[in-house]
Amino acid sequence: MKQAFLLGNGAMALGLLEAGCQVLTSYPGTPSSEILPETVRFSKAADLNTVIEWSVNEKVAFDNAFAAAISGKRAACCMKMVGLNVAADSFMSAAYIGNIGGFVVISCDDPGPHSSQTEQDSRFMARIAKVPVLDPASPQEARAMIKAAFDISEEFQVPVLVRPAIRICHARQNISYEELKSNLTPAVFTREPTRWASTPKFRFLQHKALNEKHVKIAEKFNTLVPYNRHTIQPEQTFALGIVVGGVPSAVVEDLFAEFNRDDIPMLKLGAPYPFPENLANQFMDACDRVLVIEETDTVIEYMLRDRHKTWGRLTGHVPMEGELVPEKILALVNQALSESGLPPLSTTDTATQAFALTASLDLPIRKPTLCPGCPHRASFYAIRKAVPKAIYPSDIGCYTLGSNLGGVDTVLDMGAGITMASGFWHAFQQDGKAKPIIATMGDSTFFHSGTTGLINAVYNDARFVLVILDNGITAMTGMQPAITQGARVDGRKGNAIALETIVKGCGVDYLQVVDPYDVDHTIAEIKKAHEWALSPEGGIAVIISRHPCVIGLRDQALPQIFEVEITDECDDCGLCHLRFECPAMVRNPDKKKTEINPVLCSGCGVCLNICPKNAVQTVS
Amino acid sequence: MKTCNFVLSGLGGQGILFMTKILAQTALNKGYNILGAETHGMAQRGGSVVSHLKIGDAGSSLIRAGAGDFLISMDAAEAYRFLPWVRPGGMVFVNGSNDRFPDERVTPFLAEHHITCFAMEAGKTALELGAPRSTNLAMVAFFSAFGQGPLEAEALRTTVEAASPDSVKQINLKIFDVCHDEGRKLC
Ligand code: SF4
Ligand code: SF4
Ligand code: SF4
Repeated sequence: MKQAFLLGNGAMALGLLEAGCQVLTSYPGTPSSEILPETVRFSKAADLNTVIEWSVNEKVAFDNAFAAAISGKRAACCMKMVGLNVAADSFMSAAYIGNIGGFVVISCDDPGPHSSQTEQDSRFMARIAKVPVLDPASPQEARAMIKAAFDISEEFQVPVLVRPAIRICHARQNISYEELKSNLTPAVFTREPTRWASTPKFRFLQHKALNEKHVKIAEKFNTLVPYNRHTIQPEQTFALGIVVGGVPSAVVEDLFAEFNRDDIPMLKLGAPYPFPENLANQFMDACDRVLVIEETDTVIEYMLRDRHKTWGRLTGHVPMEGELVPEKILALVNQALSESGLPPLSTTDTATQAFALTASLDLPIRKPTLCPGCPHRASFYAIRKAVPKAIYPSDIGCYTLGSNLGGVDTVLDMGAGITMASGFWHAFQQDGKAKPIIATMGDSTFFHSGTTGLINAVYNDARFVLVILDNGITAMTGMQPAITQGARVDGRKGNAIALETIVKGCGVDYLQVVDPYDVDHTIAEIKKAHEWALSPEGGIAVIISRHPCVIGLRDQALPQIFEVEITDECDDCGLCHLRFECPAMVRNPDKKKTEINPVLCSGCGVCLNICPKNAVQTVS
Repeated sequence: MKTCNFVLSGLGGQGILFMTKILAQTALNKGYNILGAETHGMAQRGGSVVSHLKIGDAGSSLIRAGAGDFLISMDAAEAYRFLPWVRPGGMVFVNGSNDRFPDERVTPFLAEHHITCFAMEAGKTALELGAPRSTNLAMVAFFSAFGQGPLEAEALRTTVEAASPDSVKQINLKIFDVCHDEGRKLC
């Protein structure tokens, strides 16, 4: 047994390699992003030959790993939960087809949400797909569950979903682990068209076989200790029992320990689907009422069929949205205990009083902002200047924060910056209006989901300007290498793909490349592109706004550092900190003028071009 | 065993995660289990950042509001924001001026629940000593002066020494000692 102090994502990386996983693929997304780089790190340290790739999107990742699994190898892919939507088509189909080598899908949920566009529950996706689910309560358990997931997947020849929530991924724990390996199973592909390329007739049979597997897996889950378990002995009865899964099960166990309560039975369902009916029935039979505490939705609650006994979201005992943080769980357990005539866990509550007090203090609202010197800030500033009265469809990445500069009007999902732009165009066009539209999308997002939308927009003759924000890196999720640079996650060389080639290949005729730090030139080019797009012979105009991320590629991003100051010309108009919103430009309320915070300032010098009073100058 | 619960707060970029690592590593060196919760992703871009750390045996990573033993904050506003996490009898350590902290609107609450507050201008001290980015460990040093919890000053200092890159090791240790001594004056 070795020990390491790791994020939950690192613990899962260990689990993958303890299980001998040979192939791992992923597309980054909070909270899943660190699983893959951590696996690279451990694989290298143990001198393994694990094949590990950042794929272009989650569906691509899924399919690549699946091919390895039907060749007999242990393979896995990981993603955030909205990434599973992107891979959903493959996910549903793969459940029917099944696999040979163990195939594990890790989909990381974000109750809250902290860094996502929904709070969806991946266990529901697994139910739709009929894929078994394991739902860990702690990093250490997530690590162990991955091994179990591979074993189940191999035993029943079905993909298995592991669903860690953000409090697993971004928890940090000391983890003990065993030997790391990459199995030596060779790739063998046996042609079997009725299985690997089956027609609807065989799909029916595969569906039937899958349903039969479920009966057996549910039986296994009835006794899958320690992941599924309860403490009730025969003949015992209780007024209230608690049914838990995932992170809330750890919270409830900690609360019972803290308040020394061993009088309330708990049913833990770390493997909730296929539903372990017998285990659940033993528990239900012994309790007058059960309270279900699970994240983020009502998966277990729906599967407990006794409507009269079951308390949870559907009865208003548990909030329908938001993360189940410990203080919430304490409150709702207390509520259920008192409704059952039992003493609460605790009677003191200073937190509610303190929250009310804190709310009355008018604390500064700290919204996330683009970093000082971020090239996206310059791009959005230029877009707003060039075409002030446009619709600005945008997308997912750091640059979503361009909303602070008024440069982001819509964010739907990966790729919608382009698809919604063409949708807006046609909707207004129908009324005879040529609506100005400037869409933005990052380089990684463009590769992930941009091209199909762009081809569609060109084909259907939409008119708008697309600004591709090319910062040379996947910044938001932790600086993964960009396809345009050709570096792969394990340091090996890949083949770089130029955005220009793809854009032209999508049928776009108008393409310009600018450096957003050159603000005036960028404004002029966006104006020109906009005019061309709306002209009779126009079309989709693409501008690649290219400048490296100041955090991930600092030296390239800032070849020259400008030391700037604000002169007395400043008339306190507020443009630089409110509209341009550089965090390093701060209003001094006493002097009624803006000042530069030297600790935050990156020295990008972009502000030298934006002040109407010319009050920003380099220090002489 | 009851866990010892630290809540660390501040703004994105202030080194909250590094501060967490110093405390966690020290606890590990002493043979404790640890479990903590961190902020990553969108919220790190200049937003308010909080990190939870439980020392001892726990199964869940988040500290319940009202159950934190210590709140160490890099910023006064972020101390107020996370005040609900401090338990009755808990302690708050803030990077800020002693004349301005705590706000008179919260003093009745603090008194009622026996929560004690200590402020020190750690940022200013770190800047004067030449390493403004080491404000985070200045706060760890300030906390260590009070001899609270299972992590002694000497053990924390050893971790700081080991975790600092050579280029700033001496400065960091100097900052640690100065801020520790500042704290001693207030005990
Ligand atoms: S990490 Fe890079 S791309 Fe993201 S906001 Fe900061 S500078 Fe901009
Ligand atoms: S520095 Fe310029 S832009 Fe900023 S507030 Fe002063 S006058 Fe306005
Ligand atoms: S203050 Fe000016 S030079 Fe400094 S980061 Fe902001 S825009 Fe760049």
